Amino acid sequence: MSLEKYESVIGLEVHAQLMTQSKMFCRCPNQFGSSPNTNVCPVCTGQPGSLPVINKKAIELGVRAAVALSCEIHPESVFARKNYFYPDLPKGYQISQYERPYSTQGHIVVRLKSGDEKRIGITRIHFEEDAGKSNHESYGTLVNLNRAGVPLIEIVSEPDMRNAHEAGQYLRALHSILRYADICDGNMEEGNFRCDANISVRLRGTEKFGTKVELKNINSFKFVEKAIEYEIQRQVFAIESGEKIIQQTRSWNSGKNVTEVMREKEQAHDYRYFPEPDLPKLMISSKWFEQIKKEMPELPKEACERFKKAFELSDYDASVLTSSKELAKYFEAVVAHCKNGKASANWVMNELLGRLNAAGREIGDTPVSETQLAALIKKIDSGEISGKIAKTVFEEMFATSKDASSIIKDKGLVQISDPAALESVVRKIIEGNPSQFAEYKAGKVKLLGFFVGQAMKETKGQANPALLNELVKKLLDS
Amino acid sequence: MLSREEVLKIAKLARLTLTEDEIAFYQKQLTRVLGHIQDLNQVQTSKEAFVQHVPNDAESFREDRAAPFANPEGLMRNAPAVENDSFLLPTIVEHS
Ligand SMILES: [Zn+2]
Repeated sequence: MSLEKYESVIGLEVHAQLMTQSKMFCRCPNQFGSSPNTNVCPVCTGQPGSLPVINKKAIELGVRAAVALSCEIHPESVFARKNYFYPDLPKGYQISQYERPYSTQGHIVVRLKSGDEKRIGITRIHFEEDAGKSNHESYGTLVNLNRAGVPLIEIVSEPDMRNAHEAGQYLRALHSILRYADICDGNMEEGNFRCDANISVRLRGTEKFGTKVELKNINSFKFVEKAIEYEIQRQVFAIESGEKIIQQTRSWNSGKNVTEVMREKEQAHDYRYFPEPDLPKLMISSKWFEQIKKEMPELPKEACERFKKAFELSDYDASVLTSSKELAKYFEAVVAHCKNGKASANWVMNELLGRLNAAGREIGDTPVSETQLAALIKKIDSGEISGKIAKTVFEEMFATSKDASSIIKDKGLVQISDPAALESVVRKIIEGNPSQFAEYKAGKVKLLGFFVGQAMKETKGQANPALLNELVKKLLDS
Repeated sequence: MLSREEVLKIAKLARLTLTEDEIAFYQKQLTRVLGHIQDLNQVQTSKEAFVQHVPNDAESFREDRAAPFANPEGLMRNAPAVENDSFLLPTIVEHS
């Protein structure tokens, strides 16, 4: 099949829960993991006569998101009722925004693996309330309304992405921004950051969009990329075999690595939207807006600039270290303890991240704490151990979570910086290799490296490299 | 007069199955309801005449403080069936 002939068009819709204490329109706690139906009240269970009141903090977090995503903010927007029937929606409608969302026209710049940057447009952001949760059992459906009414923003991208990697990078960047600005905790497993993808394919060079398929509720970055990749191939294959793409909703089956049909969309949903009569227009005054802007936490690109300046890091290093808030915090804590920005960056990026990635772990469950890594770096800086030994020590730290000092002590890895001790080692090596010594004396000075290497081996890598070099040279030339 | 098909479409949206008698009944009744809406359409609601109540910040927002409702069990008692602290409903088949 000829994938190259086709181009895919991808747009993403992200639902992000806002980090508030209480729900969007009532005072129930916004809390995951409580016993079923304990965070409920007349408003969020849709009891007759109850009325919604807007949570101020939710609006502030939404505005923060709009600022962070370079969106336009509308001083006047309107809540609307989206009507549909589902048991986890007790009112029979979801309060959302439709014709007049509070924010439109933003963008994110993402970095691609090619090193290029790409600007991805954001069509709109609107407020809405979450639905409850249904669990389907053999004897019926169990509904828990703790989540009903939790504040959400829905962020709709332009169909600007052309492959799974771009979509993955967009999601990662969006996730990072929302986490940085304390808008959403980003927990994908708990469903606090959910993604739907719209995907279509068309012949390269054509303008018209193909029929789009919606992928629903994919709960990790990796699955989003895999699902999109699979879906593009499925669609191209279908078209090449003369089939027609059917507009439908599909889900990702991570066990089988395929997308599966959830439902066919035989007609456009009739949500009968109309303005929510129980709520006033949402007014965001310029005074309020300025206040929210003033209280904005640091964003990833600001942190990146600050890291570059403060720790003299390259563009690339700074962007990796600020790619997630947890990682940036970790790095800053290491520097704070060891006072060596450059070394901290190298150790975090090369050794720690490398091992975490290989183990499929996140910085959140690193076995080596910030202070432990800083202590290791300090030992290198003070000359107690060599950089090479430090790598061995770090490997052990990663495996056991032990402190560097106890590993160094247990394994006798302290760097040998005693000239007398090293001198005897070097003499032994010279005596043991008379022919190389003669060659050296005859002018083959390159053999210096041979003697240093042998002596290093003899000390199991523990010799202080600078001192060893100096001693070898001195003894060979004497 | 609303057509039979229109009544059936509305019934489908409302998840109702209607008998032939009911279809005929709702054709008449819904036509009357829509007729009333027609009447309402004659009310002058141009931009100048229609002024939405715009409250000030203080009255349209609530501070973000959680206060659990005192009687969630009472809400559960309104449900016809409860299982594992959850509302129990007949099995839902995804509508397509
Ligand atoms: Zn509530």
